[in-house]
Amino acid sequence: MNNSELEAILKKARTPERPEEFFETFPQQIARQLNRAGRPSRHIERRWFPRLAWGLATAICILVAFAIGHWRGQIETKTAASNDILQNVKFVQETLAMFPNQVRAIVRDNHGLNLILSNNGNVPASPPIYVRVCDGENCSSCVTFSGQEVQIAGQKLTVLSDGRGGIILEGKQFVWSNDLPSGMGGHLKIEAKNLNSITL
Amino acid sequence: MARMAPPDDEINCIQNGLADDTEAFATLVKQHQKMVLALAFRMTGSLEDAEDLAQETFLRAYRQRDSFRGESKFSTWLCQITVNLSLNWRARENRRSEVHSKWAENVMVEKNAGDEFPDELSRRVQKALDRLPAKQRAAIVLTIYENCSHAEAAKLLNCMEATISWRVFAARQKLKRRLKGISHEQL
Repeated sequence: MNNSELEAILKKARTPERPEEFFETFPQQIARQLNRAGRPSRHIERRWFPRLAWGLATAICILVAFAIGHWRGQIETKTAASNDILQNVKFVQETLAMFPNQVRAIVRDNHGLNLILSNNGNVPASPPIYVRVCDGENCSSCVTFSGQEVQIAGQKLTVLSDGRGGIILEGKQFVWSNDLPSGMGGHLKIEAKNLNSITL
Repeated sequence: MARMAPPDDEINCIQNGLADDTEAFATLVKQHQKMVLALAFRMTGSLEDAEDLAQETFLRAYRQRDSFRGESKFSTWLCQITVNLSLNWRARENRRSEVHSKWAENVMVEKNAGDEFPDELSRRVQKALDRLPAKQRAAIVLTIYENCSHAEAAKLLNCMEATISWRVFAARQKLKRRLKGISHEQL
């Protein structure tokens, strides 16, 4: 058998025939499928929409979780500060009354409460000042008076008050003022206020 | 199959069909469905699969209509899509039959049992084509049934012309052996 004979045989072979109805309905079938599937651009949009939605939902969840965490952290810090026994007026009053003009500071740190007394009872009478210093998670607080030097949260601070509510804390490497609480304290979180309701 | 650029009236018809109008596209399907179905059947040997492939060919053509630049005839472009889909289908089919060889054989027999060839010669030729490796079959189908030159077939199958020539030569040797008994009276 040569090539042209083979070609003749191959060309003579016919494919099975389909009924005419098939060829009448086939184009409509294709059109229906195209209409059902939508256009390619829409197809892509549909495919991307769920991914985009999921992505956005995940991002929102992360943001909400972060915000809640941050908010709770703030609340906890504030709660811890407000639960501080040194802000308990009765406690401070009783302690100061026990040692008149002798109390230089009442310090509360990891070791508990420490009373720092002057040897000769020369601490001038003035409104007590509440100071709280946090170095990261490690927080310490004290009640002291203007002009006193206290060791708190690893910092040696001189506490000064101007009598009009202004408080200045002077450390070795910084000065903090309640007029500019966010400045100059470095990495430390500092809170200071006059305990005016306490009268000696 | 002529390989010239399409004439203006065909371009208009194709442009309408390939616009975002599925009804106009259905007209193009009507014009080319028999050619695509026959080509898919030659490549698969199964009417059922050929219908699926023909459907897939037109759906793909519509989705990829932006890639048709009118440099060749629309039918040539459809032909390329059909052959490539058929080659992928064959690769899938081979993988499946490797796993379920016996089952697949039975399925093929069942599938083909319902196919009604118009005559014995057509059945034998298709059986001989089915036994060719897919790429050799594609080369024969394109050069014999679609009247492609070796260069055109090479372009459609994305290979060198020499590769097509070799595949056609190898396929002819096998077909001559397998179709030896066919007498001239049958032609």
